[in-house]
Amino acid sequence: MDPLLMIAAVTVGGALVGGGVHFIPVGGAPAAIATATGVGTGTAMLAAGSGMTGLITAAAMTGQPLWLILAAGAGGAALMISVTMLVGNWVYVYGVGCVPVSAKVNTDPITKLPQEKYVTPGTEGHGIPTVCFVSGVIGAILGGIGGGLIYWAVYESLVTLPAYIPLIGGSTSIAAAMVAGIFALGVFFINAVIASYNIGGTIEGFHDPKFKRIPKGLLACLVASLVTGLIGVLLLKGGVF
Amino acid sequence: MSVAAGGGGESAVDAKQVMALGVVGGLVGIYATPIDPVIGPLLAALGAVCAIIWGADAIARVASYGLGTGVPSIGYMSLAIGVIGVIAGLAGGIFVGTAYAILAPLLGVIIAVILGGVVALLGTKVIGMKIPVLVTCTMELSGAAAISVLGFSAAIAGSYFMPAILASVISTGIIGVLFIMNTMATQHPFNACLGPQENRVRTLKLASATGFMAMAVTGLLGIGSSKAWWVIAVLGAIAWFISMNAFIQASNEEAASVQWSGMWPKEEEH
Repeated sequence: MDPLLMIAAVTVGGALVGGGVHFIPVGGAPAAIATATGVGTGTAMLAAGSGMTGLITAAAMTGQPLWLILAAGAGGAALMISVTMLVGNWVYVYGVGCVPVSAKVNTDPITKLPQEKYVTPGTEGHGIPTVCFVSGVIGAILGGIGGGLIYWAVYESLVTLPAYIPLIGGSTSIAAAMVAGIFALGVFFINAVIASYNIGGTIEGFHDPKFKRIPKGLLACLVASLVTGLIGVLLLKGGVF
Repeated sequence: MSVAAGGGGESAVDAKQVMALGVVGGLVGIYATPIDPVIGPLLAALGAVCAIIWGADAIARVASYGLGTGVPSIGYMSLAIGVIGVIAGLAGGIFVGTAYAILAPLLGVIIAVILGGVVALLGTKVIGMKIPVLVTCTMELSGAAAISVLGFSAAIAGSYFMPAILASVISTGIIGVLFIMNTMATQHPFNACLGPQENRVRTLKLASATGFMAMAVTGLLGIGSSKAWWVIAVLGAIAWFISMNAFIQASNEEAASVQWSGMWPKEEEH
C-alpha cells in the first residue's frame, strides 16, 4: 500500500476514535458512587474495554474486504460498550436503588420522558438513561470503525514486505497482524486520552453541553494521529531485514 | 480514579537524579544485553525497572496538579506512545542501514519523547490545559515508557534487534502484556499514594516494588526464548519482596506519625 494512503487512514481513524470518545457516557469517580450519570470509570478503561474488543473482532476479519473489517470492529466495540452499560445499569438500579436519569436535560431527547424530578438533590444524575446509552453505542461504533481502519491500513502495508510474508498456509501473517494490532491499539489510546482531556474527564453524551467542545478535540486528535501516522512510515520502510 | 489529586507539595526526591537513574540505568541495561546470555538480559530487565521508577516519579509530578481524568489515563497514553516509539524506532534503525542498527533503541526512545512532546503541546495549546509541567513530564514519561518496554523486550528476546523482538515478543503477543503491565507498574504507585501527605520517597519505594514485580513476571514470560528467565524471575521476586517490605515499613512509620501527632491541619482538608 502507498505510505501516503496509510498516513491518511491512520489520521482519519485516529480522528474517528477521538470523536467517538466524546459520545461515550464517561462518569468517572462520581458515577462510581452513583452521584453522576454515566459509566463509573475513566475514559482509559472504557477505551481499553471496547477498543480492544473492537480490534480483536476487526483482526478476526484479516484478509477480508475493508467494509467487513470496519463492520466487525464497529460491532465488537459497540457490543462491548453495550454490555458494560447494561450491566452497569443493573448495578445502579437493583444494587444502588436509583433510577437511570440525566441531569443535563429536562426531558430525555429520545424517549421524551421527564428527567428533572428523578434526580436526587445534590447529585448530577445516576445510571445510564436511554439517551446516554444510544450516545455510547454511536461512540463505540465510530471508535470501532476508526480502530479497524488503522489496523487494516497498517496490516495491508506490512504484509507486502518480505519480512512479514505469511508463514503458515499463505493466508495471514501473524507478525504483521500483531504489529498492526499493537500500533492501532497505541493510536486508539493516545486519541482516547486526548479526547478525555478535552472533555475534562466526564461527559454524558451528545446532549451534554460539554459536547460542543468537540471541534477542538477533533483538531488535536487529527494532528496527533497525523504525527503518529508519519512515525508509522518507519515501520514500512524499516521492514526489509 | 481521582478528579483532583493533591500532591505533597515539595518533593523529597530530586527529579534530576531520578531522571538520570532512568535514562542512564535504562539505556546501559538495554545496551548491555548482548554481553552474556544470562547477565545481559538480567541487566536489561534491571534497566527497565530503573525506567519504571523514573516514570512513576514523572507521573507523580504531573498528576499532582489534577488532570481531571485520573492518574491511569496519562499512564496508558504514555505507554501507548512508548510502544509506538519502540516498534517504529527498532524498525527505523534498520532503515538507516544495517551498520546503524545499534542506534535503533536510542531512536525508539527519541521518537517516543518527540511524540509525547507533540501530544502534550496539543494538550496545552489546542485543548488549553493549564498544567505548567505537562509538556516536560509527558516527554519524560514517554521516554521512560519506551525504555521500560525496550528493556523487558530485550530481556525476553535476549537481543535488542528488531528480528529477535519481532519473533519472540511481538508475534507471540507478549507486547500486549508488557503494554498493560508497564502501565500498571508506572501509574499505580502515585495512584495508591496520592493525597495531602504524599511522601515521594514512599511513593518511589512502591514504584520499585511494582517494577520488580513486573520484572519477575517478565522472567516467566521469557521461559520459551531466554536462558536467563529463571535468574530474572528469582532475582525480581526477591527484590520485589525486599522493596514491598520497605514500602510497608514506610507506610507503618508514617501511619504511626499521624497516630502520635494527630491528623494534618484542618485547612488542608478538601
